[in-house]
Amino acid sequence: MTETKPAPTLLGAGVDRVDGLSKVRGEAPFPSDVTYPRLAHAALVRSTIAAGRISRITTRAAEEAPGVLAVITHQNMPRLERGPATLIGPSPVSPLQDDQVFHHGQYVAVVVAESLQQASAAAELVDVEYEVAAGVFDLDDPRGELRVDPWGSGARRGDVEGALASAEVTFEASYSTAANTNNPIGLFTTVAAWEGDTLTLHDSTQWTANVRTTIAALFGLPEESVRVHAPFLGGGFGAGLRVWPHAVIAAVAAQVTGRPVKLELTRPQMFTGIGYRPATEQTVRLGALRTGQLVALQHHATIAIGIVDENPEPVTLISQSAYACPNVDVRDDERRLNIPPPGPLRAPGAAQGTFALESALDELSYKLGMDPLELRLRNYAEVDAHSGLPWSSNALRDCYAVGAERFGWAQRNPEVGSMREDSWQIGYGVASLSYHWWQVRCEARATIGRDGTAFVRSAANDIGTGTRTVMTQLSAELLGLGLSDVRFDLGDSTMPWSPAAGGSGLTTSLGVAVDDACRSLRGKFLELAVQGPGSPLAGCSSDDVVVSGGRLHRKDDPGVGESYAEVLARHGLDELSADGLGAPPDPAQTGLALSPPFAAKFAEVRIDADLGILRVARLLTVVDAGRILNEKLARSQIVGGTIGGIGQALFEETSFDPGTGRIANATFGDYLIPVSADVGDVDVAFVGQPDPLTPVGTKGVGELGLPGTAAAIANAVYHATGRRLRSLPIAIEQLY
Amino acid sequence: MKIVVALRVNEAAARLSLDGPETLLDALRDQMGLEGTKKGCDQGACGACTVLLDGKRVLSCLTLAAQCDGHEVTTVEGLAPDGGVHPVQAAFIRHDAFQCGYCTPGQIMSAVALLDEGRAGSDEEIREFMSGNLCRCAAYPNIVAAIRDVAGEVASHGADSGV
Ligand code: FES
Ligand code: FES
Repeated sequence: MTETKPAPTLLGAGVDRVDGLSKVRGEAPFPSDVTYPRLAHAALVRSTIAAGRISRITTRAAEEAPGVLAVITHQNMPRLERGPATLIGPSPVSPLQDDQVFHHGQYVAVVVAESLQQASAAAELVDVEYEVAAGVFDLDDPRGELRVDPWGSGARRGDVEGALASAEVTFEASYSTAANTNNPIGLFTTVAAWEGDTLTLHDSTQWTANVRTTIAALFGLPEESVRVHAPFLGGGFGAGLRVWPHAVIAAVAAQVTGRPVKLELTRPQMFTGIGYRPATEQTVRLGALRTGQLVALQHHATIAIGIVDENPEPVTLISQSAYACPNVDVRDDERRLNIPPPGPLRAPGAAQGTFALESALDELSYKLGMDPLELRLRNYAEVDAHSGLPWSSNALRDCYAVGAERFGWAQRNPEVGSMREDSWQIGYGVASLSYHWWQVRCEARATIGRDGTAFVRSAANDIGTGTRTVMTQLSAELLGLGLSDVRFDLGDSTMPWSPAAGGSGLTTSLGVAVDDACRSLRGKFLELAVQGPGSPLAGCSSDDVVVSGGRLHRKDDPGVGESYAEVLARHGLDELSADGLGAPPDPAQTGLALSPPFAAKFAEVRIDADLGILRVARLLTVVDAGRILNEKLARSQIVGGTIGGIGQALFEETSFDPGTGRIANATFGDYLIPVSADVGDVDVAFVGQPDPLTPVGTKGVGELGLPGTAAAIANAVYHATGRRLRSLPIAIEQLY
Repeated sequence: MKIVVALRVNEAAARLSLDGPETLLDALRDQMGLEGTKKGCDQGACGACTVLLDGKRVLSCLTLAAQCDGHEVTTVEGLAPDGGVHPVQAAFIRHDAFQCGYCTPGQIMSAVALLDEGRAGSDEEIREFMSGNLCRCAAYPNIVAAIRDVAGEVASHGADSGV
């Protein structure tokens, strides 16, 4: 069968979200909206110390409070192993297993009651006495265990020290980034309901299949006995990639009480229980020739980590292959602190690493007296330094060129502090981004039934990125159906296995599986279409037939053919299904490096020094993400990530009280995220071509929004004022 | 002793039997099954729980249900009854003014009130007066565009456009 031509309205262009109506009507069921008959509610008790042990825990008053069904502490919690490691790292440590306390806010008990009000009131009555130990909270504190290159992710090529010694120009600086909290607006919730030995979970997750695997392993159940529903998630930004302790506690609470239990985190608990972006300290050393060509690049990071958890946070990974440079040394170290376990948040690692690398490049450009964009262009990596292979697709230079044109980079006066308008000092800054490539094995299934409509599904999650919509589009295109004749469903662990919605990896992983399922379903229909009595296509070969408008018909005579429904009817079938499998391509076979998405970021800041105002007037991101399935939704993602980057740059800092390790700003009143009034002009443009390594041609969009934004802003601040700000968030006070 | 409160919710009479401290948010969600109104903080700081009380926007997490006796509450479910779509809802879809959709009911209720308040005269005004509604997906520019669009419709069709 020849390719169906994509109808121009289906792909690329802006199709509205297929689940938009349910969201604007408030009908989309988030985990916190799920209810059951006889639903009980759980409230957590958290540690008020950061280090030490529980010396005594008294639950009697809580147990006797009205409506209370159970109080669970480490003394009566079932012993659980640690959950299995996943594709993205180890599981969090299982909760309530002993008397040890490693961070402020650690769960020490849970109260289950008839109502949330009763559970919360009784939680106040749990009396915990502690033996306090000295906590370590500071990334510089040598008492915290330093783990050198714990993931073996460090990489060296060439001789960095030698190259630095002989470089014509060298530059070295240290940078730091604050901890940032994900803070999705949706409160993470788990609703757990047992029926005999089977468990149903409605969970705030970005990875339905992983919740099933982890919970099944912890409870010693076959995977089929755990069913996980996550059709909608009120934002996650990485927080939903791991099975956090509250989900395990909810399942235990439901088991112990024999009731369905809802456990909804409070906003302060959202700061301590579902990960967050860890603080970093970084050093960058650069060596270059006067021409700007880099000869040495060293990038080392120290990253905060909890005492007992692990969290791969690839801060310096981007520096390995972002630029052509023969001598490179990158390394991520970690320091164990008495802080809540960190976890992924929007472009984990890259968000912090890009700030340091792209600030340092900018600093070098001034030292060289060279345009910062020109410096990046001169160090464009023609091949992937990691594998030595040519890129499968790389339009980074187009990102620079199109961005410069669209932004008006040529109007930038290179002299620092030279651009002014009334009382405003104006600065332009740029940053470049080479993200990581990420695709993993994924499954999907496609069915067409007697009514001629298609049902395509996978256990994948749509976290607001638009997976449901773009997969509906993709399926419709491949099956020659209209959008309204395709239903794409997801977020249910009984559906075919899918990796997480995260790391800019799902659209490609799932897209390839959907592509496979739809092609093979088409193939099955074609086989049937040419068979049997009454076939109008009898004798046709696959080359003669195309599908469009829900019909298989002759290419040269669209009038001759049959609808899907007619094919099924003629063969007495109710439906036909096909499974699809997507697997990442093998670079050894293709001879091409699996290309990441690329981007260039341009920022204009305006500073009124007298009034103490710093405004990000304009931000432009130009993205090469391969094929864009839906420009409207892709743009939304980049805009959203970029605004997240404004937060990282200017506002966001999870601050730990230096004495107690308590998070001092664990509310929306105190932890500032960008609001509408903080956002100026945020522009996005797409460049590039479909990536040839996969049939869908996508490379991932989601993570391209945030990283680089803070660097572009800080670089613009320098250009405006001559003040180099090397720690995030940037505070206006730093400008004086 | 339960407190009994009579109010109107989405143009229908409703009775709530309360212990006393229940917020309007919890009463709507847990007692009345109106889960369209969302809880994002329960501390009056995110706007996800925005509803209209006698036509004015309020944070339902900071409003005691017991205070609503004799008052009229409108939630997202009541904006366009009978399966219809309110112009603000339609504009939100058209402009892709949300991603995860969790803040969306609150944004929409806030936007409806904002238009009514006559505070959608410029993008700056919209931004300023929508800044009590957080969106972590940061759909802000599209939210502003959606509201501007409806404000334009109102301006060109007069006050009878049903907004
Ligand atoms: S839930 Fe009411 S303002 Fe956040
Ligand atoms: S759409 Fe996700 S928080 Fe606003």
